[in-house]
Amino acid sequence: MATEEESAVKEPLDLIRLSLDERIYVKLRSDRELRGKLHAYDQHLNMILGDVEEVVTTVEIDDETYEEIVRTTKRTVPFLFVRGDGVILVSPPLRTA
Amino acid sequence: MLFFSYFKDLVGREVTVELKNDLAIRGILHSVDQYLNIKLENTRVVDQDKYPHMITISIFDWESVDTSFKILQFGLSVRNCFIRGSVVRYVQLPPEGVDIELLHDATRREARGG
Amino acid sequence: MSWAGPEDIYLSTSLASYLDKKLLVLLRDGRKLLGILRSFDQFANAVLESACERVIVGDLYCDIPLGLYIIRGENVVLIGELDLEREELPPSMTRVSEAEIRRAQKAEREATDLKGTMRKRMEFLDLD
Repeated sequence: MATEEESAVKEPLDLIRLSLDERIYVKLRSDRELRGKLHAYDQHLNMILGDVEEVVTTVEIDDETYEEIVRTTKRTVPFLFVRGDGVILVSPPLRTA
Repeated sequence: MLFFSYFKDLVGREVTVELKNDLAIRGILHSVDQYLNIKLENTRVVDQDKYPHMITISIFDWESVDTSFKILQFGLSVRNCFIRGSVVRYVQLPPEGVDIELLHDATRREARGG
Repeated sequence: MSWAGPEDIYLSTSLASYLDKKLLVLLRDGRKLLGILRSFDQFANAVLESACERVIVGDLYCDIPLGLYIIRGENVVLIGELDLEREELPPSMTRVSEAEIRRAQKAEREATDLKGTMRKRMEFLDLD
């Protein structure tokens, strides 16, 4: 009974619940992307992720040629609290079964 | 309430708060409230060489990269501060302040509407 | 709502412990205000007495007096207690008049605008 209730998917956040303890992809405002293991979340999409890889994409303008240079900066963080108001989308891991 | 409770348990530990204006401030978590406003003590602005992206122009109206440098300079004389919850992007958490099992249980309880 | 009671203000996240102190208020547009906190509420709306804006351009700075300011909480990024012994800026900084700092600000803005304009012109030419 309890397991049936746990696995029922009725609303969007139910899909996030099923991703607990799995690696998810999060797209954020200001050209940021995160990949990490989901340890906690709430209804605002505040989250705690573990083993996080953040990718930031920046566009700079070359001083001489005025050409756009697209750069990506990567870093890893052991544990990160992410405030929900910056979240654009969350993608659960692909299941092949 | 999940994260409010979580951060309350974290009081006294060192965290790095990264703001939406690309400023990062490290300090001891002094207190937190229901809006996730944060008070930090013994604050210092995080080394910008380590986080080069911290000095790029953000969604806000920083006039230039230089402006953020000046704010970093300014940060030096502030020893403790109140940060409005709404301007926080991330909080880097100390690994010893993360109990994964506890977080999973609390999250499932919260998801059930607890 | 559990807003701070008088006995626990120093342990709470309320701004009560900052009342009547000289503070730095960093705003969302990057401006830095200095002043004495006289009142606040749960939104972090704040009343600053003897407020001034500290404008810094390169090695120049100026504190422009503003008077009594009521700041809408939404625009507050950070409120910091100033370490009064260390408030002084680095010795390389020079205090200048308001007119001078405004000139410097304008020049700086024009320099950054120029970069944007040049880029737009290059796009117009469509070099590809």
